[in-house]
Amino acid sequence: MRFFKTSSRHITLGLLVIWSVLPFAWAIQSSIKFTRDVARKEPVLWGYETTSSAYNKFWLDSDEINMLHVLVFIVTFGVIAALIGYVGKLVSTPANERSGRGLAAAAVVAGVFFVWKIVPIITEPRTADNNNAVALLSVLLIVLLVIAVLLIRTGPSKVTTVLGTGVLGFMLVCLARVIQIYLGERDQWSLWETESSLWGAVGVVLTVLTFIVGPILLGVGMLRNRDQSWPWFVSVGLWLGMALWWFPRVFAVDDKFDYFVNSIIVTVLTMLISISIGVLAGYALARYSGVSGAVILIVALAFRALPRTAFVLPYYFAAQKLGILDSRLVIVMALVAVNQPFTIWMFRTFFMDVPKEMEEAAMMDGATRFEAFRKIIIPIMWPGIIATSLFTLLLAYNEFLFVRVLAPTNWTLPVAIVSLTAGESSRALTEAAAASVSITLPIVVVIILFQKHLVKGLGAGAVKG
Amino acid sequence: MNRRTFWGFTIPSVGVMLVLMVFPLVTTIWFSLHRLKIDDIDNPTWLGLENYRELLSDEQFWAAFRFTLIFVLITVPVHMIFGLGVALVLDKVTRGRAIYMAALLLPFIVTPVVGTVIYKDLFERGGLLAWVYELIRDTPFVVTKGNVKWLIIIQQVWHVMPFSLITFFAGLQTLPTERSEAAAIDGANYWRNLWHVVLPHLRVLLLFVALISIMDAYRVYDSVFVFAGDRFTEAHTLQVYNVEQVLDPNIGRLGKGYAIAVLNIVGIFVVLVPFLWKSYKDQIAERH
Repeated sequence: MRFFKTSSRHITLGLLVIWSVLPFAWAIQSSIKFTRDVARKEPVLWGYETTSSAYNKFWLDSDEINMLHVLVFIVTFGVIAALIGYVGKLVSTPANERSGRGLAAAAVVAGVFFVWKIVPIITEPRTADNNNAVALLSVLLIVLLVIAVLLIRTGPSKVTTVLGTGVLGFMLVCLARVIQIYLGERDQWSLWETESSLWGAVGVVLTVLTFIVGPILLGVGMLRNRDQSWPWFVSVGLWLGMALWWFPRVFAVDDKFDYFVNSIIVTVLTMLISISIGVLAGYALARYSGVSGAVILIVALAFRALPRTAFVLPYYFAAQKLGILDSRLVIVMALVAVNQPFTIWMFRTFFMDVPKEMEEAAMMDGATRFEAFRKIIIPIMWPGIIATSLFTLLLAYNEFLFVRVLAPTNWTLPVAIVSLTAGESSRALTEAAAASVSITLPIVVVIILFQKHLVKGLGAGAVKG
Repeated sequence: MNRRTFWGFTIPSVGVMLVLMVFPLVTTIWFSLHRLKIDDIDNPTWLGLENYRELLSDEQFWAAFRFTLIFVLITVPVHMIFGLGVALVLDKVTRGRAIYMAALLLPFIVTPVVGTVIYKDLFERGGLLAWVYELIRDTPFVVTKGNVKWLIIIQQVWHVMPFSLITFFAGLQTLPTERSEAAAIDGANYWRNLWHVVLPHLRVLLLFVALISIMDAYRVYDSVFVFAGDRFTEAHTLQVYNVEQVLDPNIGRLGKGYAIAVLNIVGIFVVLVPFLWKSYKDQIAERH
């Protein structure tokens, strides 16, 4: 009887799992079929060649390369990056930890800025109106030079010295080019030829890895002997971001990777900004006993209830007036704003569980409120921060309406999939399936990694709220 | 914590909300009283309440309103009961619970647009469920004006059910087992136990989930837009109708869009004001 009862529960749950995952399973199977004939009524379960052509079609739109190239590219990138990071770990000692941390931060900022602003300029033919960019490039190169020199100086071993010298050399080459352009001797920006060939690509990858990503990862790797996981996340994120960003440029393929990169940038920025301002407000709201605290909470709750359309139209209007329509900035701002109410409520719930005595003890010892918050409260709040970040991540990555209205061309993935796969042809259907699977995959990976935090976060927010 | 520190900590967040939420709302109300075309936003002309008068006699607006109402009234109770049922089953299972949880969570975390695209694909020609339908009924399955609304509603239940499942599951975890055991000793069967012990324990959660689900169902946009698109305008909810009035190149009326947004806000607040008032009282009480 007991056995019967248990197995009937498992059967029920099994059926429910089928109800949940059926569309996903169907999408996967139809994405790997060569084509789906819309004139046929039977579903294409067998009898067609299995291929990755829909993925190629959606992401690359090219006959010469396929998803295998992408995989090889990303994996190669990752292996080399991991090796460099490992070297960083090997050379790090407690003595140089502090300088390594500063260096890593500086290199990350410089690297991100380089990739964001400079690389698009130097890989494109020069036009008359981007002379400002030349000035910008010169300034940035000087900053990078300083970093390179620091890298050499703080380098605890020959390896960092060699790499630092490498960066230095590369920077000098760039600087020489800039001067040449100033003098009007060259009108071509390209520091290297971007060809659609595998070997040209390998050359670019090696250059970039050795001179830009390498030092960053080295700095990050130096932090790994500390018992924390965030340097690990930084290097993995950096690796994926770089690989995905470089891929379309190296192979000169279609711009869906740009939508992917847009998605990543918007998601990460939204998370960073809304978590850092939300955690402060959530903490204060949990500790303050004045009436204004209650008013803020209730107004936030009311905002949480409002439909998105009430905000998206004024944002559209304002962005149009300010001329920032179609930028990532406006999407990030909009997402941070609509996410604030939820964030502060969630953080407040988490902070209510932290006893007041913890920071009071530190303040007795002479720490200010903010110091106590940063040194005592934040370290024990990581589970709450991770849970809230996960929800922000889902919100930003999944957002459709804001991007559709505020970014007519600078799409993120959800808008891209709807705009690019709308259609009745069989090709559009398989492509839509391939796109759906590709878009869902990162989310699934993140959720599998953090499932505990997500469930706990939902439970905690709900049980007390 | 004193007042100054409090404002020091909250000012970034409150500033963002003031500039990006309060201010937009004020402009929404102001421009809803104007004629404002999307391709000519620099020249608003004063209309007074004309936009509202036009809306209240607009058949399409009322159709969107009716469908939104039906949508909320069906999806919220159905997914809550469904989620509660699953949570009760899952609570009794220990082996493989994490795997079930992960699989059941999937529809909730997937990008709503993607969830709709792949769900819709089941019903397209050559799709799995369309094929099954044809095997049984011997007529091809076609998405029509009649059934598209039901498909959208089922899709929404599929999408949000995991939310109530997780919340109720977390609530069931905090239920002391002694109470159910005591009820069992007193001779209560499963259903009486559910009614007299489990449900009262979950009362606050039921209210919470209902509130959140009403908000979210009321403002659903992504799935309805993807499913109905231009093909089935009668299955548009208020939000889709609102955005289309602005973005459709043939209409492009920002002023009217603002007016719809104001009515939307009024609509949700009619439901919410009692709850907001109650939470305000709770907050104040907590402080003394």
